[in-house]
Amino acid sequence: MDSIAHPTQRQFNPYSDNGGTILAIAGADFTVIAGDTRQSEGYSIQTRYAPKVFPLTDRAVLAVNGFAADGNMFVKKVKQRLEWYRHAHSKDMPLRAIARLIQTMLYARRFFPFYVYNILGGIEEDGTGAVYSFDPVGSYEREACRAAGAAQSLVQPFLDNQIYFNNQQPAPGTSHPVHLPLPTILSIVIDSFTGATERHIEVGDGLEMYVVLAKGRGVQGLEDVRGVQELSVTEEGERIFVIRRDLKKD
Amino acid sequence: MDNVYRSSGFDFSNSIRNHSLAEKGLPLPKATSTGTTIVGCVFKDGIILGADTRATEGPIVADKNCEKIHYITESIRCCGAGTAADTEFVTATISSNMDLHALSTGRKPRVVTAMTMLKRHLYRHQGQVGAALVLGGVDVTGPQLFTIHPHGSTDKLPYVTMGSGSLAAMAIFESSWQPNMTREHALQLVTTAISAGIFNDLGSGSNVDACIITATGTEMLRNFVKPNERVEKERKYTFRRGATAWKSESIRKLIVNEQVTPVAGEAMDVS
Amino acid sequence: MFLTRSEYDRGVNTFSPEGRLFQVEYAIEAIKLGSTTVGICTPEGVVLAVEKRVQSPLLESSAIEKIMEIDRHLGCAMSGLTADARTMIDHARVTAQNHAFTYDEKIKVESVTQAVCDLALRFGESVHDEEAMMSRPFGVALLVAGIDEEGPQLYHTDPSGTFMRYDAKAIGSGSEAAQSELQDKWYKRISLFEAQKLSLRVLKQVMEEKLDHHNVQLAQVTPETGFEILNEVKLKEIIDAM
Repeated sequence: MDSIAHPTQRQFNPYSDNGGTILAIAGADFTVIAGDTRQSEGYSIQTRYAPKVFPLTDRAVLAVNGFAADGNMFVKKVKQRLEWYRHAHSKDMPLRAIARLIQTMLYARRFFPFYVYNILGGIEEDGTGAVYSFDPVGSYEREACRAAGAAQSLVQPFLDNQIYFNNQQPAPGTSHPVHLPLPTILSIVIDSFTGATERHIEVGDGLEMYVVLAKGRGVQGLEDVRGVQELSVTEEGERIFVIRRDLKKD
Repeated sequence: MDNVYRSSGFDFSNSIRNHSLAEKGLPLPKATSTGTTIVGCVFKDGIILGADTRATEGPIVADKNCEKIHYITESIRCCGAGTAADTEFVTATISSNMDLHALSTGRKPRVVTAMTMLKRHLYRHQGQVGAALVLGGVDVTGPQLFTIHPHGSTDKLPYVTMGSGSLAAMAIFESSWQPNMTREHALQLVTTAISAGIFNDLGSGSNVDACIITATGTEMLRNFVKPNERVEKERKYTFRRGATAWKSESIRKLIVNEQVTPVAGEAMDVS
Repeated sequence: MFLTRSEYDRGVNTFSPEGRLFQVEYAIEAIKLGSTTVGICTPEGVVLAVEKRVQSPLLESSAIEKIMEIDRHLGCAMSGLTADARTMIDHARVTAQNHAFTYDEKIKVESVTQAVCDLALRFGESVHDEEAMMSRPFGVALLVAGIDEEGPQLYHTDPSGTFMRYDAKAIGSGSEAAQSELQDKWYKRISLFEAQKLSLRVLKQVMEEKLDHHNVQLAQVTPETGFEILNEVKLKEIIDAM
């Protein structure tokens, strides 16, 4: 036996990875924000329904992925800040202000981060659809589409090809569309998740898609969608809808 | 050292090097593993083995419909969990050796024989061969069911489960297994046990394979239940002809013309 | 001991039996000693005008600073103890910058005014045994001018921490006469140029000296250029046009 006492290091790891995947795609006058509802740890399913997508205001929806405990706490804190802002400035916080707020909230924890990847989607003050994506310490960027989470590496290349038309030459004398119509984007979102469910063990069980429509935009593209449910209180202003789908449970 | 003495079995001389490489950030390549649910169950007339069909590489599904019930002999089969290569290779090896054994003894080989060969092989390799097995069959002594762990230990039980879904499957057996079940009842139980693994263990998924072994014969029920069929895609993803970018074009003739000039000389003697 | 009315003057946070805070009332009185300051809101922007009392011919008039910038879209004019205003404007500037940093947008005029008034109420506040941060109320009133998504706005704050929105407001020694003049002359569609002239005319009426470009200062907040103190050339033009 070694009689000399060596210093031993012990450490507590406060984080865990709860799987799942989220994505958001911006259209010209709408945005779709989606996430699966499985929450897992290792090879176990903790629950088949744990929402990762949260409506914040009438025009902003936040998707949170990574460590579920941090994600839920983060959303709670963002909602609290939105409420305070509403009281202090008597208006809802605009989307880009929420984006900046999320950056400052994440960077405030630079050395003990919230272990979450955020994707914020909604309608800007100019009426355009917008997606903001964040890393866990607050680096952010406005984009047309973004996937994050367990199956990011499966879904993002698919979106790059189908939304940005990467590696696809347009037919001679034509060009690729800048914005796709709502039904097309909803189909791409559904196929992203059924595809990820096929090949990633942490993705599945359920799918929640939030659709934010710009002020004055009709519901065209949503009429024929099965099981669409409206969340907004008023007909004027931006409107939020949710569409739920089953995913495979294996 | 190499010249003086060389032991049989695997060569571990690179293990220190590999360990230091792993510490420097170059880990060993990840093997395809069958994070799996496999079960076996004794019933009135014989044995039923069951398995899911998912093969994984980390969190990625490598194969949605692989076969985990391996052939040993006509009346002996073996389910494998763990490193895919090890389970496939070790069962194939033992299958060969069982054939040879049958030929040299002139008898139908017994399940214990396969079990002993497997455990000796696994013990010799000290757990480095990552195979966790459920071995079952019917021989002259009757129905036999074993589990074999990667280090070589074995169990002989009336119902067994292995793999990452073993707890989910065992929960079903512990609540519903009974002695002397009918074939239908036992098959139903095995299916439920495998389904428990498929739906509650992320390492297991897709379809249920089952294999019924009785004294009268063996019935391999490949994809006995398919509860996870892929749903139809919302869109068609065919690409327009000409969608791929190209930088230059060159067209060549693939047919080569060759002028054959016969050279005078003696013809080969083909008589 | 004297048990007069002045007993209630001692503590800044002590109400008199009639429900008055004398120190705050005195602070409001202090503003009436200050130079006259005028603010006018128009659909095109907000105008701020101040009288610069040049007490000595040796005083460098350009050193008198009674209109200050809070942010690109916010300006502020003062009357009373102008030294106190520095603390308030510093606070307003930090609040505006913090808002822009945190929310990537301009702070609203009302919000920055609210922030200044929150500070104005902190006199006599202390934590545990520590000395109070501020020992008395501010002796200054502000006219906060700015533009946000709700258009051009003008706010008035006083030492009690009360703030009100005005279309046109005068503060300081000549405020009573100036205010009634504003009430007479202000109209809803008044142009920025008319407002500039009106503000100077109002000042001229209440000033003892003859108004020239040395003893008044004029500033504006417009959607195009934001806050801006008008330079001598522009000021002279308006004085001439008046």
